[in-house]
Amino acid sequence: MTHIVSVQQVFKNYTLGTFVVPALRGVSLDVEEGEFLAIAGPSGSGKTTLLNLIGCVDTPTKGLVRIAGNATETMSERQLTRLRLHTIGFIFQSFNLVPVLSVFQNIELPLLLQRSATTKERRARVEALLDRVGIREYASHRPSELSGGQRQRVAIARALVTRPKLVLADEPTANLDSVTGTNILDLMKELNRTEKTTFIFSTHDARVWSYASSVVRLADGQIVDRVTAEEAVRAGGVPGQPSPRAT
Amino acid sequence: MTNLILDFRIALRSLFQHRRRTFFLVAAIAGVTGLLVLLNALSTGVSETMIRAATTLSSGHVNVGGFFKVTSSQSGPVVTEFAKVAKVVEANVPELEHWVHRGRGWAKIIADSGSTQAGVTGIDIKNEPDFKRVISVVSGRIDDLAERNTIMLFESQVERLKVKVGDAVTLSAQTNRGAANTVDCRVVAIAKDMGLMSKFGTFVPIETTRGLYQLRPDTTGVIQLYLKPQFVSESAAVAGRLRIALERAGYALMDSDASPFWMKFQTVNREDWTGQKLDVTTWEDEVSFLTWTLKVISVLKVVLLTILIAIVITGIMNTMWIAIRERTREIGTLRAIGMQRGGVLRMFLFESFQMGLLGTLAGALAGTAIALAVNAARIQVPLSVQLFLMSDRLHLSIHVSALTQAVVMITGITTLAALYPSYRAARLPPVSAMSHFG
Repeated sequence: MTHIVSVQQVFKNYTLGTFVVPALRGVSLDVEEGEFLAIAGPSGSGKTTLLNLIGCVDTPTKGLVRIAGNATETMSERQLTRLRLHTIGFIFQSFNLVPVLSVFQNIELPLLLQRSATTKERRARVEALLDRVGIREYASHRPSELSGGQRQRVAIARALVTRPKLVLADEPTANLDSVTGTNILDLMKELNRTEKTTFIFSTHDARVWSYASSVVRLADGQIVDRVTAEEAVRAGGVPGQPSPRAT
Repeated sequence: MTNLILDFRIALRSLFQHRRRTFFLVAAIAGVTGLLVLLNALSTGVSETMIRAATTLSSGHVNVGGFFKVTSSQSGPVVTEFAKVAKVVEANVPELEHWVHRGRGWAKIIADSGSTQAGVTGIDIKNEPDFKRVISVVSGRIDDLAERNTIMLFESQVERLKVKVGDAVTLSAQTNRGAANTVDCRVVAIAKDMGLMSKFGTFVPIETTRGLYQLRPDTTGVIQLYLKPQFVSESAAVAGRLRIALERAGYALMDSDASPFWMKFQTVNREDWTGQKLDVTTWEDEVSFLTWTLKVISVLKVVLLTILIAIVITGIMNTMWIAIRERTREIGTLRAIGMQRGGVLRMFLFESFQMGLLGTLAGALAGTAIALAVNAARIQVPLSVQLFLMSDRLHLSIHVSALTQAVVMITGITTLAALYPSYRAARLPPVSAMSHFG
């Protein structure tokens, strides 16, 4: 199997005034194509930092990050932006849709940035995804006119519209109620299965582990272990976390 | 192209989303543009009025005048054998539309109830259609100036002299040889005042000036050249070229001096020469004692605009900083999903450009409407202002080129004002932008 993501001995420090705060301490992680990987851990464990590094929106203090065969440490800002545009899709906890654009336009946005698809192709691809995530009737609505679950569906469609090899989702269910969260995870899982897209999502909610093909558990900026979803649920969470309640 | 449309669309919708803020800023830009349009219209209006008055009353666009000195200390504003000079002019000024010649002099006008000093211009009314068109006669007939020993006065002179059409006045002057001479003239026309220049000017047939100053029929005071409209702004260049041509044709020329002819008597009388010397001037030289009005308006315009544009720039920059702070997460998201820095820069520049364009178009329209309303209202200006405006009414002149210039300039400035904030927005690291709160 090919590694879509390869993180080698990555350190990430943040400086707060005179203090240096380590967020990641020697993290190494390989993710294979088509995986549905959860990164679990309590708040402050380094989940978001790790996703940011994998998503090339941040750079490590030390260590190597390789995405789809690209050594990111040698790439310019412009090249990294192109890599994000063509290879990675993002789903954010707060949806992060462009408020002044309609649902259709939000989904179409990455295709416009890519400049490769014709108007007809863009329309076809956006409409197919609107159907796929079940929000066709909201195509002309603004994000402010949608519920949280609907917004996250728009975000998923936007992340997938360029057919990226990798989708990163940072706590995708954190701002949703449990039923909507479950629906969103079902949708992501289905897309992972049918589109063969690699999904990496962070969560501190143990109920969603069961969806993952494997769970990487983080604590204090280090990987504690990498287990299957069943093992993670059985092991009773990560250090410092209460035991999960399997759903 | 689609990316540009996308950036343009996001920018436009962002402006619409913040309608209140956009409205105030657009209104401020419109205000500044409107003021610029009005100030331009005022200075152009004054300038045009001045050109019209100057080139009607006392000057062509370019003039070939001169002085003839019988003795080294006694000069008169005379061009001898003017037909020969005119031939040189015609051969060397392809921009020429037509020319006229006029007598020049200064005399005391004496009536039964008073007297006044005034310039006496001798004209051939049959060859001066523009003069008849521009002069507004309130009493009498301007065509009667074709008769010998007649005179046209302006309203303010008539008030001083207490005369009316048909009355006689006496012109008293000193000839170029120093002898006193008088000519009796009949008032045939009274014209509406045309600013300062009409206070001190009267018009008589050219034969009357020749008679008054005892000059030969082949003499005149000045040859006034009227250029084709597209060449009026090139008067100075034409004058320079004509000086060289006249010198080559064997005429003695006076040193170039940007003053009206009547201010040169003292200098000429001090110089040790006799005979004929020609003097080439432009209309601006002949009214240089008045063009300070234009300079004052220009300085006022620059000062006012500098202050207002500084305010607009500050407003635009502040608005952009606020917009960027409010939309930092959006910038982070757009960068994360693959928008290059250039895209973010363009987006904010478009926003400022759209505000600028909207404001300047509104301002240009408002300024034009106000200027047209002022012209339609035919607002009478006080006498003291008339002197400098060279008109009894306020005239604002709007030109499409000036409007375009105002729109392009202010839109350009507002767009450039957003450059630094936009640049900073584009440089925001995606990760910190996305985690921004506030």
